[in-house]
Amino acid sequence: MGLYLLVRAAVLVVSTAVASVVVFAVMAVLPGDPAEVALGVNATPEAVAAKRAEFGTDRPLVTQFLDWVSGLPTGDFGVSYVTSDHIGPQIVDRLGVTLWLVLFGMLTALVVAVPLGTAAAVRHRSVGGLLLSGLSQVGVAVPAFLAGILLVFLFAVTLRVLPSGGYTPLGEDPGAWFQQLLLPSLSLGLVQGAVLSRYVRSAVLDVMREDYIRTARAKGLGLYRALWRHGARNAAIPVVTVLGLQLATLLIGAVVVERVFTLPGLGSLLLDGVANRDLLLVQGTVMVLVVAVLAVNFLVDVLYAVLDPRLRGAR
Amino acid sequence: MTRPLARLVAVIATVTLAITAAGCSSGTSGDSATGSSLSVGFVAEPANLDFTSTDGAAIPQALLVNVYEGLVKLDQDGKIVPLLAESWEVSPDRKTYTFHLRDNVTFTNGKTFTADDVVFSINRVKTDWKVSLKSAMDVVANVEKKDDTTAVVTLTKPSNSWLYRMTTRIGAMFSRDGVADLANTPVGTGPYKLESWRRGDAITFSANDSYWGTKPKLQKVVLKYFKDATALNNALLTGGIDVISAVQAPESIQQFSDTSKYEVIEGTTTGEVVLSFNNSKAPLNDPRVRRAIRHAIDHKALLDTAWAGRGQLIGTMVPPTDPWYEDLTGLYPYDPAKARDLLAQAGQTRLNLKLRIPNLPYAVASAQVVKSQLDAVGITVDIEPLEFPARWLDVVFKQADYDMSIINHVEPRDVTAVFGNPDYYLRYDSPRVQELFAKADAGTEEEQVTAMKEAARIISEDAAGDFLFLFPNLIVAKKGIAGLPKNLVSESFDLSVLSPSEA
Amino acid sequence: MTALENTSPAARGRRRWRRLNASMLVGGALVALVVLAALVSFVWTPHDAVHVDAAHRLAPALSDGYLLGTDKFGRDVASQLLVGARTTLFVGIVAVGVAALVGTPLGVLAGMAGGWLSEIVMRANDLLFAFPALLLAIMLGAVFGASTLTAMIAIGVATIPAFARVARGQTLGVMHTEYVLAARAAGRSRLAIALRHVLPNIASILIVQASVSFAIAILAEAALSFLGFGTPPPTPSWGRMLQESQELLFSTPRLAFLPGLAIALAVLGFNLFGDGLRDWLDPKLREHR
Repeated sequence: MGLYLLVRAAVLVVSTAVASVVVFAVMAVLPGDPAEVALGVNATPEAVAAKRAEFGTDRPLVTQFLDWVSGLPTGDFGVSYVTSDHIGPQIVDRLGVTLWLVLFGMLTALVVAVPLGTAAAVRHRSVGGLLLSGLSQVGVAVPAFLAGILLVFLFAVTLRVLPSGGYTPLGEDPGAWFQQLLLPSLSLGLVQGAVLSRYVRSAVLDVMREDYIRTARAKGLGLYRALWRHGARNAAIPVVTVLGLQLATLLIGAVVVERVFTLPGLGSLLLDGVANRDLLLVQGTVMVLVVAVLAVNFLVDVLYAVLDPRLRGAR
Repeated sequence: MTRPLARLVAVIATVTLAITAAGCSSGTSGDSATGSSLSVGFVAEPANLDFTSTDGAAIPQALLVNVYEGLVKLDQDGKIVPLLAESWEVSPDRKTYTFHLRDNVTFTNGKTFTADDVVFSINRVKTDWKVSLKSAMDVVANVEKKDDTTAVVTLTKPSNSWLYRMTTRIGAMFSRDGVADLANTPVGTGPYKLESWRRGDAITFSANDSYWGTKPKLQKVVLKYFKDATALNNALLTGGIDVISAVQAPESIQQFSDTSKYEVIEGTTTGEVVLSFNNSKAPLNDPRVRRAIRHAIDHKALLDTAWAGRGQLIGTMVPPTDPWYEDLTGLYPYDPAKARDLLAQAGQTRLNLKLRIPNLPYAVASAQVVKSQLDAVGITVDIEPLEFPARWLDVVFKQADYDMSIINHVEPRDVTAVFGNPDYYLRYDSPRVQELFAKADAGTEEEQVTAMKEAARIISEDAAGDFLFLFPNLIVAKKGIAGLPKNLVSESFDLSVLSPSEA
Repeated sequence: MTALENTSPAARGRRRWRRLNASMLVGGALVALVVLAALVSFVWTPHDAVHVDAAHRLAPALSDGYLLGTDKFGRDVASQLLVGARTTLFVGIVAVGVAALVGTPLGVLAGMAGGWLSEIVMRANDLLFAFPALLLAIMLGAVFGASTLTAMIAIGVATIPAFARVARGQTLGVMHTEYVLAARAAGRSRLAIALRHVLPNIASILIVQASVSFAIAILAEAALSFLGFGTPPPTPSWGRMLQESQELLFSTPRLAFLPGLAIALAVLGFNLFGDGLRDWLDPKLREHR
């Protein structure tokens, strides 16, 4: 077990290192000199040269890369070409918004998936179960941004019960914070909930066939109660791992949802960075997202190992 | 449905209701127009707050007149009026300007505004500014302090445009001790000061208690930024903001048709939406091809479809608020047959043109109409949207690697910059026009108007670009907010004259 | 992964025909509808899908020969939907094609070779997995400019790991079957074994993967078009139709509703078809999904 974890951790480190090279390389071929962009049009060549020196973009690429990558572990992402601000704190600031969104999105997914999937499994031979399965298929087919647009139209514009977008930090006004996160989380979570419900269904179906459930039912427990008392933990294992993998999807889905709801999260930071050609900012944001996905995959692997020691040797 | 399942559904329904009810009872969030605070929705967020080193309209829109003030400013009719200078005299040779400054002005860092700051600010444009606009100050030979409240500026030659430029960001007055962190901490003399800036979301101004002039009616103004036109509309509909400063989805304006709740203000801006041609590169270096394109475009249809008919057809680079405006829409009436003739004369019957546009709503919409209309006269157009600002600036503006583009030239009185400089991205080189511009700048007011009018007409006749429409000033606000401008004549959005609704 | 049963492929095949399931039929019908719409759009559309007509803007459905009305540019919505199907399929085919052509050989290679080679391929695969389609497309769009091509490549590259994983898993199973063991004993080359025995046996599960990936590709293209990183105008694309009609949701909801419905039905179709196909290929799983 220890060795397995060690190997996985080493893989994580190597992957992160390779990813940083890839991200830097892609950004390095980006057309448009950040110094020229920062100075706008009709800038004098001397001013551009001075700005390049200030940014450090006149140095060899390898030097620039090493300089950038060596700062990453300490959260030093460099200084933005456009805002002249340190990028690290900006990313941390925006990451906060995105993490809340992802967390609430995941909760939504669970709240939707567990009852829906369980019901679909329990009633899998009836019309009701078929309808529930169908419903989850339809849910999977709706893009998150479309769900967002429709939710805004319904709850914000028509019913006027929730705000259409924006963000207030938790510390400033918890009520407003919650209301503003509600619709984005729903649009992100409902679709993922539909995906997850299919895994819940099959996990519950597996558990239902187990002897201990039959025994419990024979003792007079209702099916749902029996499942809750005896089957929940076993059904949870595959569901939790799928949920882990979905975290990555949620993180990326947040990019689109943030645009619909004007949330100042990591996704809007990334899109702003691309529009303003804020090279280092884009580089840093992409890096954070990629490392987040890698880390989630690593955790899922660890979880596998912890839950099922037989897997230690394989893969 | 089995009973446990039904119970579960009931629980979920209850929870959902409770949450929405909570949302209902505490009301929608955001600053509402109560008391002395307003929030105004904008589309382009400044990348930073330093317009001395960063281009773009968003920074002066927010800061000029509100935080920074110049010696002079433009009033609602586009006339130059006193601001930090109580009055000024011009010498008979029109080369020396003597400004008499107000003596009760302080910066938000506590320092008193004196002639030393005027000297500092004007010289700093020449020495430290990094944006191209700084060339407007090249004509200044010397600036000196006569006494604390008198500053004298000497020009190398008479220039009508110089004093006008002093109303723009170029003329902003900085404190000698207030330029350390312009990107984040602006220090000015204006009615507002920066309270906070939450990147990607909002800038908050609060009233400057030591302001020298009429105190603003609002204690607090929040400038909220939206990437998405629909999100901006929704914010007003749901009470997240009080004013939409510029509607980006004009089709949606009927959402605000309830006049008991909303007020729609429609007027002019100084933004000419131009279908720009690369005048130095084949095939658009041939005037016949450019003229053909102008004849091939049905401007009325374009405005109706692309921007819901909001805006004005002008046929020229001069907005109606300038003294030398002339309606030139008659120069190139919609005439596809004539367009085909011209193309045939030019030997260009199978043209293929690259239309490289910024990925902004008005440009994307207009481009599709232009493509369809040019299709009808046998010109094939490939639309290529580029990320705005960075990529568009790089490819089109800097490298002039394009055939046609569409951009809203927003700066006031930019006809001289756009068509007077052969290196500008349209690469329009007309010695006659350049001569007229020079004459206009040096001449009397009357000579200026005559020369500018002639230049603008030549430019339009030459088909140096096609002037699609004048971008409308389209503001939607909650009922009863006073002070919103009908016409936009300057590059700032004056927040100090706004007052809240009674409601 | 499911181990293949020891019954002969032929015998299994005969039984399958009797198990055609509802998912597959419904999904297949929806997919066929999208394909049909795309094919029809090549030879016929009711109107020119990109022709702007100010005189007929925002025409209601069933008026002036406009079956589904027109948009704010006066363009026929029905024609746009038909041509949009073509865009959607095109993006899907290229993206899934790239993913299958690169991912499958990698997976088969890893499955057959084993050892450090397998390890390297699969680790590279994991790394690629950390660059989701949307992120790749935004990066590529920033570098080369957003276009249908960058969107397709980004989605395709991001889908490679899915194919590689499935291919490897299935290959591992096939490698232990008697006929592969027999072929190896007979001294057949690895390439021959891969082509003659492995590929035919994993092909069906790859088709399932392709169908599911297709659905994901459609969703990704729609999201990219919504963000402005997808198909540039005026080429009709369902995602951009949706984005362009957002401002009219209030007054003309049909304009946003129709492309939204088209996206959802196409995704539903490919998902159902993939699921149904999986059940059909492997009846043992039927109860599970």
